[in-house]
Amino acid sequence: MTTGLERLRELKALGRLEAEYDRVAPLLAELTDDPGTSAAADLPRAGRLLAGLDRAAVLAAHPGTPVVTVAVTGQSTVAQLVDPLTAELARHGLLLHPVLGDHGAYLHDLTSEQGLFHGLGADLSLCLLDAETVFSEVPLPWDVAALSRAADGVLERLTGLAAEHARLAGTADGTGGTLVLNTLPLLRRHTHQLVDHRSRARLGAVWREFNAALLRLTERFPGLAVIDLDPLIADTGPVLDPRLAGYAKAQYTAALLAAYAREAAHLARSLRGMTKKCLVLDLDDTLWDGILGDAGADGIAAAGTLRGEAFGAFQRTVKQLGSQGVLLAVSSKNDAEPVLAVLRDHPDMVLRETDFVQVNANWRPKDGNVADIADRLGIGLDSLVLADDSPAERAQVRHGAPQVAVVPLDDEPALHVTRLLADGWFDTPRLTDEDRARTGQYRVERERRELREGSGSHADFLRELKVGVELSAPLGHEFARLAQLTQRTNQFNLTGLRLAQPDLEARAADPRQLVLVARATDRFGDNGLVGAVLGHRAADGLHLDNIWLSCRVLARGIEQGCVAVLLERARDAGLAAVHARYRPTAKNHRVRDFYPSLGFEEVGEDGDGAGVLLRHDLRTVLPVPEHLTLDARIERLDAGGPNDGHDRNDGPEGDRR
Amino acid sequence: MSGIDDLGGFLRLLRTELGLQLSDRDAYTDLADVEGWDSLHLLRLVSLLEDETGRRIPVRQVLEARTFQQIHSLVAGGARAAAP
Repeated sequence: MTTGLERLRELKALGRLEAEYDRVAPLLAELTDDPGTSAAADLPRAGRLLAGLDRAAVLAAHPGTPVVTVAVTGQSTVAQLVDPLTAELARHGLLLHPVLGDHGAYLHDLTSEQGLFHGLGADLSLCLLDAETVFSEVPLPWDVAALSRAADGVLERLTGLAAEHARLAGTADGTGGTLVLNTLPLLRRHTHQLVDHRSRARLGAVWREFNAALLRLTERFPGLAVIDLDPLIADTGPVLDPRLAGYAKAQYTAALLAAYAREAAHLARSLRGMTKKCLVLDLDDTLWDGILGDAGADGIAAAGTLRGEAFGAFQRTVKQLGSQGVLLAVSSKNDAEPVLAVLRDHPDMVLRETDFVQVNANWRPKDGNVADIADRLGIGLDSLVLADDSPAERAQVRHGAPQVAVVPLDDEPALHVTRLLADGWFDTPRLTDEDRARTGQYRVERERRELREGSGSHADFLRELKVGVELSAPLGHEFARLAQLTQRTNQFNLTGLRLAQPDLEARAADPRQLVLVARATDRFGDNGLVGAVLGHRAADGLHLDNIWLSCRVLARGIEQGCVAVLLERARDAGLAAVHARYRPTAKNHRVRDFYPSLGFEEVGEDGDGAGVLLRHDLRTVLPVPEHLTLDARIERLDAGGPNDGHDRNDGPEGDRR
Repeated sequence: MSGIDDLGGFLRLLRTELGLQLSDRDAYTDLADVEGWDSLHLLRLVSLLEDETGRRIPVRQVLEARTFQQIHSLVAGGARAAAP
């Protein structure tokens, strides 16, 4: 049997790697299915093969392949990062476009108009720092006070860098990419240059205060991420090889760079709205020790025995993920009744029936079961992660449902937690209240479904649902959720646009722009922030740049209501027309007719011909659907409102802070 | 894992692990003229060779070597003797 790596080598030797790039991600998934042995070494090897790819040829053969532009710069040699980053992104079907800066010149690279990255529009700017960032500024001989001054200076510089990055992201042609810094490892070769324990302890404290302050910068700058290297180093071992550090300025080992690349790739994935939403778990030997069908409820354990405790620890980790908005589901080859009985009554279980949004215990193949779970939750198969101890079941799902990420577990339950968390499948830039409440919302969704099934018609259902919508400018605390909505919404996203929080804040601050959010409620409770409208005013009327609506609340008239009210207000304000755009993406075909259904007419093609431009002449405006209670506060559209067609802004070069 | 004691085996390792297209004559080509070679390959080569031989290799000399044949003579058999 040939391994994934051998097949990649074959493709490379045949010159077919570009033409068959769609096979790369599945081959890498196969290669990482066995974390115990070869994967750690094989993934960088695969990265080396893939880094030599002709990007243009890949895109010619597979035009839909998403490209991630990553600017890489830092204190020391950074080129070594390209291979592992290529491999890690390729696992997610993403194609790396790396742009390397000059080492040691990261400030210039990242902020200067003459810098290499100016106008690049990088999705990620990786600025790889190391201990030299501070120590290169410490005189010889040195003491803790001198080091502390150097660290303060570096922190000030990095704060300035983050601020400048945020400022650039807010400018008209700013791209809002994410700047990535990292904590600096302190090594024994530093601490033990001091011979007295008191100074050493002070050095440790000063160094960690520096790292802590660096991590805290993320609270001030939403477009900044700081990767904490400490937990990565605890897993990978040595930070550097002193010979390669000394002779070749390689301040990090290949293993540590590979771990860093994995974090960065998951960050890139989450920023593209590819965060996984649901963890599907096997049961026997995954969630508990033993085979329920053979041993009965008394013969399984998740506590009390050495092995049982390991499963208990795994369940607690899963529960922790669930508390942060990861939906939990079960796919297990078992009879349904005994499984439900265990989840209700077995004394060892940390996870209970109410922790799961869907339990599929049956004897059908797992690829069909994961598809069924995705379907019932109204999410894509590519939002699922399966954790299973059986290699055969994993292979079956990898082949039958290749969009599903698969976590390989085996017969050593003490490793289950490590393996589940080895990849940041559920990483997200920021967690919102909606995330924390998600499992409850999906359970309420089930009640809604029951109401729908019990109602005579869809219209009856909507009347009984009592949908309320509030449409207004976002409040300060809502921007994080708003950014997340734009990043995660794929189906009802009329142009595919995704925006980062700083960009949204900049638009909301600009009186010529229209940023609105929709909050919805119904008789079952609060749905939270579920939709957003982005627009701007021009001489020829109002332009709707995009609309997003969470798939949880589709088909309740919310989208029709929001547009109807905008049309009404535009007409009342005496505007000439309302313009809109639709650009097809891989997932938004269902909303192609959304604007036409509301009376918009197609008037032409969008710039490059990929989308359509639409126009509503405001002569006949459909009313807001009557089952909807809609409260709209849109000051920027009201006649005589704060923006009555006049430009009162300071202008883009104004001295705003 | 026999293999890198002779020069042919060493070149095979370079082809597989570093993805380089090398002819046997490239053993004597100046590294600057080897197609696809860059200084990053040296860093990988160092850890690769230490994994392969289970010995410490003379890193500085390897980094300064001009041909694969020179690197090979530093690491095959008498590597220890060549260490500083």
